[in-house]
Amino acid sequence: MSRTLVPWRRYLLVRRTAVAVTAVALVLSTTAGCGSLQSSATEVGGERMTDDRPVRDGGTLTVALNADPDKLDPSLAQTLVGRTVFAGMCEKLYDVDEAGKVVPQLATALPKTSADGRTVTFSVRKGLKFSDGTSLDAAAVVTSLLRHRDLPGSARATELAPLKGAEATGAYSVKLTLKQAYVPLTAVLADRSGMVMSPAALKKYGKNFTNHPSCVGPFKFVERVGGDRIVLAKDPNYYDARDVHLDKVIYKPIPDGSVRLANLRSGDVQIGDQMAPVDVKSALTEPKLQLFNSPSLGYQGIGLNVGNVKGLGQKPGKLDTPLARDVRVREAFELSIDRDLINKVVFQGMYEPACGPVSPESAIAPGVAASACPKRDVAKAKRLLKAAGVKTPLKIELKTSTTPENSRLGQVVQAMAKEAGFAVSLRPTEYATMLEETDSGHYDAFTSGWSGRLDPDGNIASFLQTKGAMNAYGFSDDETDALIERGRTEADPAERAKIYGELTRRANDAHALVYLYRQKNYVVAGKDVAGIRVYGDGLVRVKDAGYAK
Amino acid sequence: MAAYVLTRVRQSVITLFLVSIVVFAGIRALPGDPALALAGEERSPAALAAIRAEYGLDDNIVIQYGRFIGHALTGDLGTSSRTGLPVSDAIGQALPVTLELAALSLLLAVVLGIGAGIVAAVRRGRPAEWIANGLALLGLSVPTFWLGMVLVLAFAIAVPVFAASGYVPFGTDPLDNLRRMVLPAIVLGSGLAAVVMRQTRAAMLDSLSADYVRTARAKGLSRREVIGGHALRNSLVTVVTVLGLQLGHLISGAVVTEQIFVLPGFGKLTIDAVFTRDYATLQGVVLCTSAAYILINLLVDVAYSVIDPRIRLGGAK
Repeated sequence: MSRTLVPWRRYLLVRRTAVAVTAVALVLSTTAGCGSLQSSATEVGGERMTDDRPVRDGGTLTVALNADPDKLDPSLAQTLVGRTVFAGMCEKLYDVDEAGKVVPQLATALPKTSADGRTVTFSVRKGLKFSDGTSLDAAAVVTSLLRHRDLPGSARATELAPLKGAEATGAYSVKLTLKQAYVPLTAVLADRSGMVMSPAALKKYGKNFTNHPSCVGPFKFVERVGGDRIVLAKDPNYYDARDVHLDKVIYKPIPDGSVRLANLRSGDVQIGDQMAPVDVKSALTEPKLQLFNSPSLGYQGIGLNVGNVKGLGQKPGKLDTPLARDVRVREAFELSIDRDLINKVVFQGMYEPACGPVSPESAIAPGVAASACPKRDVAKAKRLLKAAGVKTPLKIELKTSTTPENSRLGQVVQAMAKEAGFAVSLRPTEYATMLEETDSGHYDAFTSGWSGRLDPDGNIASFLQTKGAMNAYGFSDDETDALIERGRTEADPAERAKIYGELTRRANDAHALVYLYRQKNYVVAGKDVAGIRVYGDGLVRVKDAGYAK
Repeated sequence: MAAYVLTRVRQSVITLFLVSIVVFAGIRALPGDPALALAGEERSPAALAAIRAEYGLDDNIVIQYGRFIGHALTGDLGTSSRTGLPVSDAIGQALPVTLELAALSLLLAVVLGIGAGIVAAVRRGRPAEWIANGLALLGLSVPTFWLGMVLVLAFAIAVPVFAASGYVPFGTDPLDNLRRMVLPAIVLGSGLAAVVMRQTRAAMLDSLSADYVRTARAKGLSRREVIGGHALRNSLVTVVTVLGLQLGHLISGAVVTEQIFVLPGFGKLTIDAVFTRDYATLQGVVLCTSAAYILINLLVDVAYSVIDPRIRLGGAK
């Protein structure tokens, strides 16, 4: 008997020990994410774009990005994370300031536009050098602009399509001629189209410029290890090199948010870009970390297929689905959704409800404020469905991306829409497949988002114009098309604001894209790092960054 | 002998050729247009057309395959459509990371697994066996991602002995390399260690009850000689076979581990390529892996034929 009891007791002892060890591990793993928000470096809610504490010279800063950037060629680059890396090494003719206004960067002043809007002139700063040591002049600007427009596969071709010609009228003065007045041009030149590349490097490397990028910037390209890191080092040729404090900046792609946070906590990285609300909440419990945030210029919502029958870029046609046939069905779907609840449940209340394509933060033409969003009205939604004569529950398949947040968003929408008479089925779809299926029109509804552009035209034209490059909804409205054209040519800011207000109203009345929320740019950094800047364009600027004194 | 080797080489080349067709066709059968994935937010019809033209995506699949295999034969695996970096460079950078991770994990699995297996068998019915069995059960059942995060929280954040992420080549800084590789190796090796422990324990129990061990004991050999010299040597045959079978799992398991610890290895390269429909990288990675498997099989077969002449004569009758 005793021979059987002794091992059993031993087993119990071992089991208790094992349970205790497991419990400690569990507690360790969970308590690291809990704690008092009182210890937070920065409270969620307000905006914090800069940290002006004095910094010391030297050191390396590692920035964790949420994806691996694509090509490091301003003409070919497509990704938001790529723009963040460019912010460290490629300055533009114009930039954005803290208030979201366009300010000169490599140009000496804002451009001068002729009365008919077809000629634009500006000067570039003297004495600037590219990272390869060659000088920046008007000819280099012309070379870059024409390459952005003409290089096969250029992602800048559409936004520079109105550019008819560019010429150097002096060593440092540039004249652009346009096919028609094009007001968004200045904002376009404050993005990758305004990046000036070294003509010598372009000549030397051609298409391989992506592996040897050379621009004017605080840091110069050193090396790239695919999927692992992009290394930049302080550029002694930079005109403001004396005010650049860091020796090196390393960009590391870390797609998983919790891994990004773990690396911030361990000190292996100093800045975490594009942090999700759940990770921000967790980060705020860590006294070593601080938060930066800025409102974004983009939007997130649900795209409905109202006429995409032949695929992207083709003329929209008629679709025989209740959603496409009757605007009342789409309005009912929108009225079934509570934007505030989505923000609260899915995003911890850390984003902003949205009900239009233009961010209220847009300094160029303000959009409709979040408070103007229509409230949830299930009774009205039911009435609209009844009036439309559809049989309920109306089946809709909603494609969502595979992120945990988008899955939760889909579930909340599913639950809310059910009360109004919609049977929403969710189909989590991986990004590349989603693009193909939605662009070809094989969908009812999908989670649609846009990182946003400075000029409201960049948030509207491609999406809502008939045959627009990203009009996956198959939306077509002559009045909208005309307003988009007017918005591009109208120079008077007050008049432009009216045009984009009207465009917002028309977009909302069509309910082809149900705008739901605006993300905020959340950036978490070590408290020992100062001088980083996080503006509305979502880029992390490290030019003035360094370790706090 | 030479004829046999020649036959096997010929078979391997044909296998590799067939694999290259399957890989090429399989990747193209994936849903999702690579031009769209590449164009991302900026997809205008003109940009898409230019991307398709640049990467020859509009061509007939046979022409695309011909171009791919023609370049591959000259050692050119193409250029990543996403980053513009040469695929051979990317593979060259990723391969040492995964090999080191696999080697360290294997080392850990062998040392811990065999050690714990011996202890469990020798100390049968005692606490040592319970502990070893419990740890093996834990090693088999704990999800890799969870274990990785717990280890990072414990040993990179709470007690910062190791790094949470990144890779530094061993040649550049051996200490920093180990600081970054120990935790991933534990995560990847723990499952294998558990399997090895169980196999060692079972094989050792068999051996310890075998006649030759009883004879050895009767001859008055020391406990160390009996266990190490007789029982373990015979048990290792099974363990080594299992280890060989598990090697493939090490490589595939590295995918998750490399994601957790942000190691720029083969797994991470493959995942990134899949999500961005980076055909060139994906083809290169899969083809290299297949070639490695085929080569190892070829070498094993040749080695077998050297050891046992009956194998090479088997089909010659």
